[in-house]
Amino acid sequence: MGSAPRPPRIVGWLLKLAARGEDGFGVLGDFDEEYAELAGARGRAQASAWYWRQGLRSLPRLAGDFIYWRTVMFKNYLKVAFRNIRKQKGYAFINIAGWAVGMTVCALILLWVQEEASFDRFHQNADRIYRLTIDARIGTSQSVPVAPTPAAPALVREYPEILKAARMDRPRRMVVQFEDREFQEEGVGAVDNSFFEIFSFPFLAGDPRTALSLPYTAVITESTAKKIFGTVSPLGKFLRLGDGQDYAVTGVLKDVPRNSHLTFNVLRSFETLVAENRPATENWFSISMYAYLLLDEGADPGALEAKFPAFIEKNMGPTLKSVGGTMSLRLQPLKRIHLYSNFALDIAPQGDIATVLLFSGIALLVLMIASINFVNISTARSSTRAKEVGLRKTLGAFRRRLVGQFLGESVLYSLLAMALALILHFPGLRLFGRVLGRPMAANIFQVPWMPPALLGLAFIVGLAAGGYPAIFLSSFHPVRVLKGQLRAGGGVWFRRVLVVVQFSVSVLLVISTLVVSRQINYAKRKPLGFEKEHILVIPRMSPVLRRSFASVRSELKSIPGILEIGASSLVPGVGIARSAFFPEGYGPNEPQLMDVLVVEPGFFPTLGIEIAAGRNFAEERETDRTQSVLINETAARRFGWADPIGKRFVLRPGPGQQGETTFLTVVGMVRDYHLTSLHQKIEPQLIQYDPDAVRMLSLRLAPGDPTRTLELLKQAWKKLDPQSPLDYFFLDDRFDAQYRADERMKTLTLDFGLLAVLIGCLGLFGMASFTVERRTKEIGIRKVLGSSVPAIVRLLSKETVLLVVVANVIAWPAAYVLMNIWLRRFAYRISISPWTFALAAFLSVLLAFLTVSFQSVRAALARPADSLRYE
Amino acid sequence: MRELTGIEEILLVTIWRLKDQAYGVRIRQEASRVLGKEFTYGNLYSALHQLVAKKYIVSTPGDTIPARRGRPRIIYAISPGGFEALVKARKMNDKLWLGISRFALEKERGG
Repeated sequence: MGSAPRPPRIVGWLLKLAARGEDGFGVLGDFDEEYAELAGARGRAQASAWYWRQGLRSLPRLAGDFIYWRTVMFKNYLKVAFRNIRKQKGYAFINIAGWAVGMTVCALILLWVQEEASFDRFHQNADRIYRLTIDARIGTSQSVPVAPTPAAPALVREYPEILKAARMDRPRRMVVQFEDREFQEEGVGAVDNSFFEIFSFPFLAGDPRTALSLPYTAVITESTAKKIFGTVSPLGKFLRLGDGQDYAVTGVLKDVPRNSHLTFNVLRSFETLVAENRPATENWFSISMYAYLLLDEGADPGALEAKFPAFIEKNMGPTLKSVGGTMSLRLQPLKRIHLYSNFALDIAPQGDIATVLLFSGIALLVLMIASINFVNISTARSSTRAKEVGLRKTLGAFRRRLVGQFLGESVLYSLLAMALALILHFPGLRLFGRVLGRPMAANIFQVPWMPPALLGLAFIVGLAAGGYPAIFLSSFHPVRVLKGQLRAGGGVWFRRVLVVVQFSVSVLLVISTLVVSRQINYAKRKPLGFEKEHILVIPRMSPVLRRSFASVRSELKSIPGILEIGASSLVPGVGIARSAFFPEGYGPNEPQLMDVLVVEPGFFPTLGIEIAAGRNFAEERETDRTQSVLINETAARRFGWADPIGKRFVLRPGPGQQGETTFLTVVGMVRDYHLTSLHQKIEPQLIQYDPDAVRMLSLRLAPGDPTRTLELLKQAWKKLDPQSPLDYFFLDDRFDAQYRADERMKTLTLDFGLLAVLIGCLGLFGMASFTVERRTKEIGIRKVLGSSVPAIVRLLSKETVLLVVVANVIAWPAAYVLMNIWLRRFAYRISISPWTFALAAFLSVLLAFLTVSFQSVRAALARPADSLRYE
Repeated sequence: MRELTGIEEILLVTIWRLKDQAYGVRIRQEASRVLGKEFTYGNLYSALHQLVAKKYIVSTPGDTIPARRGRPRIIYAISPGGFEALVKARKMNDKLWLGISRFALEKERGG
């Protein structure tokens, strides 16, 4: 019977698919046998019909049965894998935890990068919104992201391709009062009503078209509304802001998303500023407002920018010419503001594409190192199972089975690490938010592409980690494996390079942490030329109070605990005002920029600023207010005035202005003090006396608990200025806040440093266990021949210590260069001491040694009989 | 030890009866005859796998014939555990049906 009758193929093929269990062959054979029997007895047609019927009816059960048994088997595999984890707890933990930490860090950084890249993209018209910036050269050149106040409305009138324009006053902190409750509110700004036609900040209540069209109206965000009004509807209520005016609430906005470069809680109408000081808002040389434009669809920003020189010439030309300055207006795309602009005076601290790229690089590096560590440790671990493999092969295990087992196990490890990473990333988010100085917007599960990406990553790395033992070990001749001839030689150099790279990064970060924290300490402790402790500053005095300053002083001085009182236009740490002056001996085309400070005589003693030469202003001398100035030492040096007293500044009348040339005479010189943080050099200062311009009141308090004094101050203030609530800050807080970015840098280097050290040690651990494994017998023989335990530990640790030394040598110059670049942020800075490098080197070598000794000591202590027995 | 299901009981008895002929085709035909309806291979093998898992029967590869196109028969045999279960089932059945004749039952049904 050469050819048995063939049953219908389709059903046969389906059956073959379904019956895949161990006895699948037998099932198919049964079908064929019975078909042949039937065909012989009743003919092929009947047999085929039977085959169809029987086959189709059997299919579901056969398939279901197969799947059922597969699941049972899989559970068995899992059980074996978990047993392995339990058997090698240490290894498994280190391996899984290390990989999990690596994945967590990578995921966190990716989340942050994603957030940075998404800035301002939620606005419907994001592609058509631009910000005006100017490049100006008056004396010195500078670029600022602000525009002349009247420019925005004028541009809309002039150019039809500009659909809308809105100005914004920089949001700042202000006291907000409702009924008898006061709130310190961050982000109180002012905008034109058209602001809401440009940006997509949705209203929850109120009418966006008219909300801010009148003076003394304001819109607030949802959370501010909740804080101030609770459940009451805020519409139509009145808020008293820090300027003492009442504002009608005309709208409630949804909270500003975190990925917006504009942040605010309260927006006053720009009309308010116009109503209060119309001339200032129409002055082309009042340049402090941010301006945003919405262009028409299809409008070419480049072509528009090309028209701006004519616009500037028309409105500002003559004046600019008279001071020998130039100014050009530019358009900055909204989407580039957050990452691609680096202005000194930006509306809020912005991100930086370089940082984003740097972090992405770090994420990649961490991922690479962590995954390679994972692969390495898995490999090292599996070599201890070479014998198991050999035995299994001898007993007839299929290679496919072994491969499956190894791959499955390492994939399982990797997936466990991923699960751990998903848990770890929640506290990680909080930590990371602390580093960034703001909370993170989203977690992994809120970014749709992240979970599948992580899963894929865990899978691939798991396969890679299992791949080596799976393919390498299972292909081995059982006898050779059993004899312990397994050698994974090629990876040694690779592992060495890896250790060096990891430790270089660690050492670099450790040095950075040390340098950064020393510089911050230096910056905070360096004598500033004034005493920043115990100074309370009231940032806004009403014009009325300024005019009756003498009575304010006597009123406040009667409060116990208040030692000195002074007033000024600025205090150190809140900003600067800079203007051009013409010192004696400089021509009309040589304007000199100087920091301008307006004070009343009490300011210097209050802050403890010394008069180095000449005298302080005197209240009783009327001429001091109009004709006298003080300068600082830097100014005297800059202008070459050995004896500055009596030297003069020339004030020429502006073009078109009537009047004659007047002079300001230097009557005194103050010791140099820092008006700004140590990032900036002390600039020449010109100090004037004008009681009307001193907005900020500084109080020197007695050392000790200020609570009681504050209480009395509040009561006294209520009497002095019943209209506006008391707003104050402490000078040292405000001054030190200038180092916040640097503090973040410190946290960043510290956290990443710790992480790098952790991951580096993991890599070392992997390598060490590999080495020890390889040299078990050598150690045994050495011990038999009389080697001591310390000698063996030394032998096993020598290589590692050497590698870490190499890492140090690589890291030092890099750290030196990088840290010097960072230190350049500071005009006043420390020099990097060699001890910093020595300390980093000592720490890294110590740590590496400890990590390796964990393995080497164990190997050295092992009885030689055990290590030599298996030959 | 749990009681056997009806199908398990049928299969065990069938395998015992068939002795060295206890492989898929014969077992299925016998079971179909006992049940009085077509018993499918799907049901047959899922039940056999369960019996193997419970260690009532064991399987060994057997001979093949050309009609099977090279696929060996799988011969099932009852293990000691399987016999024990069968004995128990038989005793249970005896006790259950004690004193009831088939005719009495059919008379009842017919009314």
